Amino acid sequence: MNSPETDNGITRDDLVQRVALMETMIAEGRRNTGRFGWIFILWGMVCLGGIGVSYLLPRSYWVWPIIIASGFVIQFAGIAMRRRSGNWTGENIKSRSVAAVWRMMGIAIILYAAPAIVTHTIHQIAYIAAIFMFLGMAHATSAMILRWKAQGVVAGLWWAGGTATYFVPRDYVITIYVVEMVCCMVLFGVYAMMLERRRAAAPLQGQVQHHA
Amino acid sequence: MTNPEPNNGKTRDELLQRIELMEQMIAEGRRYTGRNSWIFVLWGLVDLVAIGWQQYFPHFGGPWAWPVCLPAGVVLTFAGKMLQRRSQGYSKSDKCGRVMSVWGMMGLAMGIYVASAMLTHFDWQFSYMAAILMMMGMAHAISAMLLRWPMQGVVAAVYWAGGVAILAFNSGKATNVIWLIEMGVVMIVFGLYATRVEQTGSRLKGGCA
Repeated sequence: MNSPETDNGITRDDLVQRVALMETMIAEGRRNTGRFGWIFILWGMVCLGGIGVSYLLPRSYWVWPIIIASGFVIQFAGIAMRRRSGNWTGENIKSRSVAAVWRMMGIAIILYAAPAIVTHTIHQIAYIAAIFMFLGMAHATSAMILRWKAQGVVAGLWWAGGTATYFVPRDYVITIYVVEMVCCMVLFGVYAMMLERRRAAAPLQGQVQHHA
Repeated sequence: MTNPEPNNGKTRDELLQRIELMEQMIAEGRRYTGRNSWIFVLWGLVDLVAIGWQQYFPHFGGPWAWPVCLPAGVVLTFAGKMLQRRSQGYSKSDKCGRVMSVWGMMGLAMGIYVASAMLTHFDWQFSYMAAILMMMGMAHAISAMLLRWPMQGVVAAVYWAGGVAILAFNSGKATNVIWLIEMGVVMIVFGLYATRVEQTGSRLKGGCA
């Protein structure tokens, strides 16, 4: 098959190669999100744990700082273990972009939450809504980059939660928070990990069938 | 010249091709930001007009300053984008697509957040003002990482510093000053800088409107 020249001197083969490269990168990016699915579950549990402990100890200002610090310790320990076990793959341009989104979201949330905790501003409705909006923004950007509808739905749920926070009576805000953490953090993490497991098992199954 | 196989079975030529493609995409992404930097200038001016209206003409519909200026800014942005698309050849590379995703999603998140806060009259809270600066910083930081653009990284840091300062000072006066500096000065200055980079950086080829 010949390769007629398209605009800018790019041949059809070049374009096909580019498309194939991009599809591979999207698949790798999604796989990477699946590999880090445990972080969603971890932070979902951390936030639910924080709510539970602050319910039991309503007067303690140290609940959230301790719970959040524990979350970071577990996360870094988990990443260090994965690196040591060799279960740490190289990044491509797509997964680097997604990693950039999540890293910057993480920094933004830390910078936002830390002074809010110190100055006791976390009771404000706009604070809780903002956290939901940040998370929704990161999911939505990642969903656009990876063309992943399920993640887009999760982004929509975060934004819906952020909007609802403003409109519902104060007593229901905690319910929204718990629902968001369970659905968008824990369940999405489980879903992403399941997808990754299935993808990882697929080539092995193919090999077994091939040998049989 | 031989092509020894490095890791993952990729040849040297393939790796070079990938690097070249990435560099090209980064250049296109920066050019895209430069071409759209008028949006930063526009929104800086929108903010300044709204702040000025609220501050100096409070009896001439002062409470309506933001509800009027923000939709006007949105209309002007869309009109400008449509004009830009009509006047230039519209193409979209992968890097431009990603930078567009970042700003598009930031705009959407911000729109939902601001509209909800205004409708429910929570827009006086310090955490509301700080969150807007944090979102702006986040979008700039992601874009800076994607485009490897230190200047945009500095802008992100300035926005984040503003957000932190609003929460740390916890006072109305400090919030007004920080807001004026961030949304007026930083936004306009970065917009003008990016426009200049786009105009002078003719070495960058290709692009997207």
